[in-house]
This record gives sequence, structure tokens and C-alpha cells, in this order.
Amino acid sequence: MEKPIVAISTPLGKGAISIVRLSGKNSIDLALEFFKPIKKQIIEPRKMILGNFYIEDEKEKCLMVYFKEPYSYTGENMVEFHIHGGSVLTKLLQDKLIEKGARLAEPGEFTKIAFENGKISLDEAEGIIDEINSESEAELKNSLATAGGKIKFLVKDIQEKLKNVLAQIEVTMDYPEEDEFEVVREPVEKVLKETKLKLEDILENTRQKKYILKGINVAIIGKTNVGKSSLLNTLAGEDKAIVTDIEGTTRDLVEAKIDIEGVRFNFIDTAGIRESCDEVEKIGIERSREAMKNADITLFVLDGSKTIDEEDEKILRDLKGPYIIVVNKSDKQRKLKKFENEVEVSAKELYNIKKLKRTLLEKTIGDNIDFKYKVIANERQEEILKNALLFTKEAISKKHESLEIWSLLIKNIWKELGKITGETENEDIISLIFSKFCVGK
Amino acid sequence: MREFYEAIVIGAGHAGCESALALARKGHKTLLLTLSLDAVAFLACNPSIKKKKKGQLVSEVDALGGQMGIIADKTAIQIKMLNRGRGPAVQSLRAQADKNLYHQEMKKVVESCPNLFLKQAEAEEIKLLKSKKIVKTAVGDEYEAKVIVLATGVYLDSRIIIGKYKENVGPNGFKNAKKLSDSLRKLGYKLLRFKTGTPARINARSIKFEELEEQLGEENIQPFSFVTKKSIKNKAKCYLTYTNVKTHEIIKQNLDKAPAISGEITGIGPRYCPSIETKIVRFADKDRHQLFLEPESLSTKEFYIQGFSTSMPTYIQKDMIHSVKGLEDAEIMRDSYAIEYDCIDPQQLKLSLESKLHDGLFFAGQINGTSGYEEAAAQGIIAGINAALKLENKSPLVLSRADGYIGVLIDDIITKGTNEPYRMMTSRAEYRLSLRQDNADLRLTEKGRAVGLVDDSRYKIFKKKKAGLEKASKILNNKLSYDEKLLNFFIKNNETPPKNSISVKEAVKRSNIDIFKINAEFGLFDEFSYDVLSELNLIVKFEGYLKQQSEDIEKAKKTENVEIPPNFDYSKHHGLKIETIQKLTQVKPENLGQASRISGVSPADIAVLSVLLKKFKEKKDER
Repeated sequence: MEKPIVAISTPLGKGAISIVRLSGKNSIDLALEFFKPIKKQIIEPRKMILGNFYIEDEKEKCLMVYFKEPYSYTGENMVEFHIHGGSVLTKLLQDKLIEKGARLAEPGEFTKIAFENGKISLDEAEGIIDEINSESEAELKNSLATAGGKIKFLVKDIQEKLKNVLAQIEVTMDYPEEDEFEVVREPVEKVLKETKLKLEDILENTRQKKYILKGINVAIIGKTNVGKSSLLNTLAGEDKAIVTDIEGTTRDLVEAKIDIEGVRFNFIDTAGIRESCDEVEKIGIERSREAMKNADITLFVLDGSKTIDEEDEKILRDLKGPYIIVVNKSDKQRKLKKFENEVEVSAKELYNIKKLKRTLLEKTIGDNIDFKYKVIANERQEEILKNALLFTKEAISKKHESLEIWSLLIKNIWKELGKITGETENEDIISLIFSKFCVGK
Repeated sequence: MREFYEAIVIGAGHAGCESALALARKGHKTLLLTLSLDAVAFLACNPSIKKKKKGQLVSEVDALGGQMGIIADKTAIQIKMLNRGRGPAVQSLRAQADKNLYHQEMKKVVESCPNLFLKQAEAEEIKLLKSKKIVKTAVGDEYEAKVIVLATGVYLDSRIIIGKYKENVGPNGFKNAKKLSDSLRKLGYKLLRFKTGTPARINARSIKFEELEEQLGEENIQPFSFVTKKSIKNKAKCYLTYTNVKTHEIIKQNLDKAPAISGEITGIGPRYCPSIETKIVRFADKDRHQLFLEPESLSTKEFYIQGFSTSMPTYIQKDMIHSVKGLEDAEIMRDSYAIEYDCIDPQQLKLSLESKLHDGLFFAGQINGTSGYEEAAAQGIIAGINAALKLENKSPLVLSRADGYIGVLIDDIITKGTNEPYRMMTSRAEYRLSLRQDNADLRLTEKGRAVGLVDDSRYKIFKKKKAGLEKASKILNNKLSYDEKLLNFFIKNNETPPKNSISVKEAVKRSNIDIFKINAEFGLFDEFSYDVLSELNLIVKFEGYLKQQSEDIEKAKKTENVEIPPNFDYSKHHGLKIETIQKLTQVKPENLGQASRISGVSPADIAVLSVLLKKFKEKKDER
């Protein structure tokens, strides 16, 4: 069965609604693996249905429309998801669909299928051609951009090593009369294992990037009267970032999403502590522990005008993972002792807020994950790399197969990677055979 | 004087003979012209034919109803299996052919074939008039026909080079074709200049065989042709020796005298058949190269030194040969030489091997920039079949890359062209696993039958094998009952015994078990022939991979089946890049699949082109 194709049809970014489209015979079956209507109902064509889509343990409210062939844009069975805007969710849904059997659409492919199925008139064909060209053009530019260019370089290197191995195997098959070309399996296996590691590495980086796109979770902890809320408002306000109260996709409540130099920080609600004013201290500590567990970084806010008490000391001892000690109320007389690596601020007078933001960035992206030097794949490349990784695992597991089969499996990896580098011609291997091995009459 | 034929084939080498036989056997009065009757199907270089690698081609030619495999079987004097222990699918056969006998046997077939007229004459000019084609010979005779196949081999304006000696002759000193190149140029063909070479021949009585490694043949090996009944008998031995530091020293000191290195030879040589001096330069770290001594014929004492091709002056050649172990006293009977020749740029042809420039003009063999006897025969039979189909007003036989190595070969040279003599390698075939020598008949014999080249006796053999396969594959579903015999069988073969009864197929899939072992133990397949069982064994062993490959083939067919009209003008349509237009216009691909294989044509280009084609077709339909 042909795989359905999938693509995000709205521009990536901060639009209010994003649309993810699927087209293909079994696109509705695939869609229903993720989507559950709120009310039990039959999926009727051309009718908006409210429901949730489920990805792992997350769920998100969205609208789904099903178009039954031939009454759709492409003329095939189609499904559209209308989901909350923002690149993260949209991308997540698309990835999941690909993982479950869809294929990322080629530039202009929806329109091309529409044309082939006679859904678009002849006159419109010109438009499609421009679309295909402009999209592939954009992709080309994208791939030439720093990260994309780097990945090509890296993949080329992996491919080069595989090509050497292939030439070594192929020469024994095409020149069996030359007794010197014996294939030793261990070095080949070593190359395959290295390939696996390298592919996993790029994929892991890419995954981390997604995690950054999703946002970095920040827990603000501290006692009620230390000025957490005003700090949050100041952080948010200065950048005029969106402060919402919407329920997030994670289990945590997100108080505010703040953009710092293009990186999103999700400030996790620490209402538990805020509400704990009437409760015993113990509960407050429990809650802050809980908040820290789900955070990528913790802001521990203290009131600079007061001395430290036992509860603060307990929290201090409990601090885990990256954290920043924020000493608020610098506008008042300082009574609190000095901490190493503290950031003294005044939420009220906007003192040192910029420094706090910079520290947040440094402590998260700057210190932990250095994206400036890491290679990240775009979505098309990511799909290819995932396939290549599967092929690599298969080749490793079948290392005892006959050479002809092994060569075929290794060639699968090489060819898949060629979709990134453009090197997929058998001739490339043959050229290497001639330059590396002395064969002939 | 003027004579009339339906078809004329120029050149009686391995391509020309297959072409002429195909035409004549299909009932067309055919003239086969050769420069020398003593050079018909002459094995000018190696006296050997290989079954695997290029030999796949022999099996395919045979399956289509060609002659090469039958003659190779009849004239083989040694046969040996190579690559044993590297898995069933990589094994490969090498057969030594008796060079004199090969020529004689093929000539006998050609001259006895009804409708076929073999004649010694030099074709000098091709005249293409409105309704007829004329070949004018050097003596001034004219022959007229409706179709012409050019299979001139390496004889077009060829030149032999040995050191400073250069002579305008063909291989082995045969006469060459002096004027035909000009005639082709005048007709508008772009010519290339290629180069190849052949090593020296030495007298057996002067070889110290006792110092060399013997290479014996093997018995009971499947012959080349599907119709050959007897297995090949070994009547000769080959020998192995090596070059050494001394040999390399002689070559290095005299590199300035090697025409290939000093720049005297301008023709482009093949990378896979480098001369020994090229090997020494390019692989400087190797202190020895393998040399293989092959008997040329039972009727001569000449031995061929495989791996020792050179264009050095004769006195240096002598020193080089005498430096090799076992060849210290070798008497050189023929010197090694390089040869330069004209060929056409194959991109000027269609997939049917008919010219894009002139209807009814076909090209086959080394004139198309290929190398090797097997490659030549493969093109020969296709050009012959298609010339005949042209006479019959039928559409041509085009083999796809999934049909066989012949399809790969022709698609490669026509879509991509070649900048060196093209040689077939299994690495070139993306569907290698499906294109096995043993199933060439299953892939192609029906096609050969459909064009009328497969006779009843061959077809009967094919039908019998096919029926056998079907019957035998049903037995695969039989269950082997769970008893002591079964358990012992598995243990004996180092396989974990099953916990229950097991199907024959599941048992065959185990890596240490095969269909032959099962038959020896349980006797289920006694009635079937070896070739049926070995084919079935492979099908079971490779099942998953073959399935994957056939899915790939189906996917490719989608673009392969989208035809591009020959008159399609790429520049008149909006959307293609100028660079792409140039490439497409040059190659004029016949279908979308072929277009996608042109280097530099991107998937986006193909998407655009598919839209344009649809649009073009719809517009045409409207009219």
C-alpha cells in the first residue's frame, strides 16, 4: 500500500491556527490512530469534528476534517488537522504521523496529485510548476544555510566511509579471479557501528533542538512574600511576551511563556507554594521539590531584605539541577547573606532583569547544550536519517549473511544518505573500485 | 554492381554475428559484411568467457535465443567456479574458450544459416537516400537494404601502437576500416576515440610450468546455455604467477618509452583494464601483480598472459616478461600492443539501439563505446531483433533495468553516455539479486519467444523448467514430521531443532540447510533437475530481499511507463531550468524513468516534467 503523504500546510510560526494535511488511500485510518472525537460520532466527510489528538501521554484539543475521495483537493482520501498555532505542536503531530507510516510530501506534491487526478485545470498547471520550483528552491536555500550545510558535510563523511566498504565488497564480487581482495568482516562491522553512533548523535541533537523549540521549563520557587509574581510579571512585561493562562501540553501548568533571545522559557506555576501560606511549611517544601523535578532550571527567589530562615535553608539543600539564586528587592536594605552565583534584582525597579535573563540563557543553552556547534537536521533530513539508522541496525544484525546480501543492506544505508548529499549513483562506487583496487587484464 | 537485401550488418564480430543471426532467423534476407572471413567472431583478447559478472549477459543472450552461450559451451576447454564460500549468489564461473574453435564454430553457424549471406568486403560508405539505404564497399560494389546494423568493433580507423611503432591496422594486424569513420561524420555522428590493449602471447614449450601454480578446472558445472545438455569437459590447465620488484623496476626505468604514459596515445583507455605500466604508476605501493596464463587453443601452443597488457617497445616487453617467475625463457610469439579506434557517442541512439538521427540505422557492440565480447553480443542480439521488428513494422523490444543486465547496459550508455570503454559489472545493476544467471531464461525467454527468436526446442526446455519450478515450490509447503530423523537432521547440520513439525520452506531458510541437503535426507525433490532446485533454493533463501526488490521494481515502473513523445520540445514549456532543458534535449529520454537517471536532473525537475507531459498529452487529446 502506498504511504499517505503529510505536510504542514500553514506557514510555521506564531499563527493562531496550523493545519496539518494528510493525503492517501489510508490517511483516515492513520489519522484515527491519534485523533479521538470528544463526542462519540461517525466520521462524516467534510464535517469539522472536535476532538483531541493524543501523542504519547499528551493530548491536545483540535479540529479534524475528513475528505473522502474523489471530493478532496488532491482527489484522494484526505484529512486535515486544525490545531493551535505554534511550530512545536504542529511539528510533533507531523513527526508522529511520519513515524506511524506517512511520508513527508515532496515540494508541491499535494498540488501535483491534484493535477494528476484532474482536480486542477490545465491553466492552473503553470502555477503548480512554479510552486514545485519555489518550494524546492526554498529547500535548497535552507539546506545551504549553516546547519543544513554542516549536516551535508557530516553525512557526506559517513557516506564516504560506507562507500569505501562497499567498494571493498563489490570488487571481490566483480573480480573474483583476483585473489588479493578478501573481505574481512570485522572492519566493515566497525564502520557500520560507527555509522550507527554518528546517526544517533545527529538525531539526538535534533531531538534536543526540538526540546528547545518546545521551550525550557523554569520553576520559580520561594516563599510567598519574596516577590515571585512580580518577578514573573517583570520578566514577561519587559519583553512584552505573551503571558497566558492556558493549559499547556505538559502535565505542568504554565504560568507564562517568555521569549528570551528567540528561546522560549515556560515558567511553571508554583502556585503550590503560593497557596501554602496557610499550610505547614513541610508541604511548601514538598511542592517546590515537585516543581523542580519537572523543570529544566530553577529560580530560587529570596527576599534580600530579610535574613534566611530554616525553610529556605532546607530548600537550598534540596536544590537539584541547574538553578539560580535570585535575591529580590535590591531596592531595600540588604540583610541577607551573600551567595555564590547569586543574581541580585529588583522586580519593582527593573534592576538587573536583563542580567537575570542572560544568566538563564547561559545556564541552560550556553552551558548545557551548545547548539552553535552542533549539527541539526531539518525535518526531511531527519526522516532520512531515521531510515538510515534503521538500515544500519539491520546491516549490523545481519553481518553473517552472504556478501551479496550484506552489500545490499549496506548499499541501502548509503543510498538513503545519498538523499541528503545527492550521491546515489552506483557509478560512484564503481569509480572508487577502479581508483582503489588494481584490477584488469 | 548492386545487390538487394532486407538488412545489412557491417562487421562479423560478436555483435555482428548475433545481429545477423537474429535478422536471418526471423526470416529476413541479410548480408553480413566482414573485413576478413578469418576474423569472424575472433576472440581478439582473452580466450575466456565469464559466466558471472559479464557472463550474466551471455545467459541473457542465450535466453533470448542467441548463439554465444551455445558456442562457448561447445568450445570451452576449461571451466572453474570462483568465489566458492562467499555465498551461493556470488559464485562465478570462468570458462576458457578454444579461440580457433570458437571462430570456426561461429563461422560455421553463420554461413549455414538460411537467409544469411556472409561476405568479405570493406564497407566504405553509407548512403542514406529517401527510401533506401546503400552500403558502398571499397571495391565499389553497392548493397541496398531497408535497415543497416553497424557492428564495426575496434576496426574504425584503428591504429596499433607498440613503443614508437604505430600502424594503421586492426587488432592482431587484421585490415582496418579506413573510410567508414568519415562517412559517419558526414552523416552527422559525433565520434569518440577510445583505446584498449592486449598482452603478449608466449609459446607453451618455453614456460616453466613446474614453477607455477596450477589452476585446474572443475567437473559437473552448469554450462552457459540453457539448451546445452552435456556438461563441459576440462581439457586444459591455467597457471598463476606474479610480477615482482624487478619487473616493476624495469617498467619504472622505461616509463618515458611507454606511449600511454608519455602522451603518445590520446585515446581514452578503460580504467578496469589498465596496462601494466599504468598499474605500476597508479598503485605504486604494490610490489606484485597477479598474472594468469591461459591457453589460447588446443590447436596451438600459444599462451595468453592475463594482466600484462603493455604498449612498451618490444625489447622492454621481453625484459619485463623474462623477469617473471616461470617465464625467464619465454618465447614471445605475439607482442603486446595498444589499439586506438573510433566509436560513436552512444547518446546518439535510442534504447532500441536505433539511431536518433536516422531511421533504420542501428549500432551495436564496441562501436557504441563498450568493451568486451559479452557486452557486444548483448547489444548485437537487441539491434538485430529491433532491426527485424523495424522491417516488420512492429514496435521495438526494449529491455528495462529490471529485465536484465542487457537493459542496464543499454540504458547506461544511452542515458549517461560513457567516457571510457564501458564494461558491465554487477555493481551497476540495482536489482542485482533478482537478475541471476540461472533465472535469465525465466526473465527473458518469453520475450524472445514473442519476437520469434526462441525456437520450439528451447521453448520446450524453458516450459519444462518452469513447470518443474511450480511443482517443486508446492512441495515447500509440505510438513516434515516431528520425529527422530528430523531432529538428527537438524543437529547434524548445526541447527537448533524445531519444537514441532516444520515446513520444508522453513527448513530451507535455515542458514546451514539447503534444498539439496533436504532432498538427500528426505528425498522429496528427486524428480527435479539441478537447475530447478538451485533456483528454488535461492528464491527461498532470499525471499525477503527479493520481495523488497520486486516492490522497488514496481515503484520504478510508474515513472518508467510514462513515455516522453520524441517530438517533445523542452524549451517550449514553462518551468524547467535552462540547464535541465539542455540535458534533456541532448539525451532525449524515451520515458520519465530514463529522464530521472540523467545526471544533474533533480527529483523536482522530474515532478515539473511529469506535469508538463500530462499537460502536453491533454492538449493533444483535445485536438
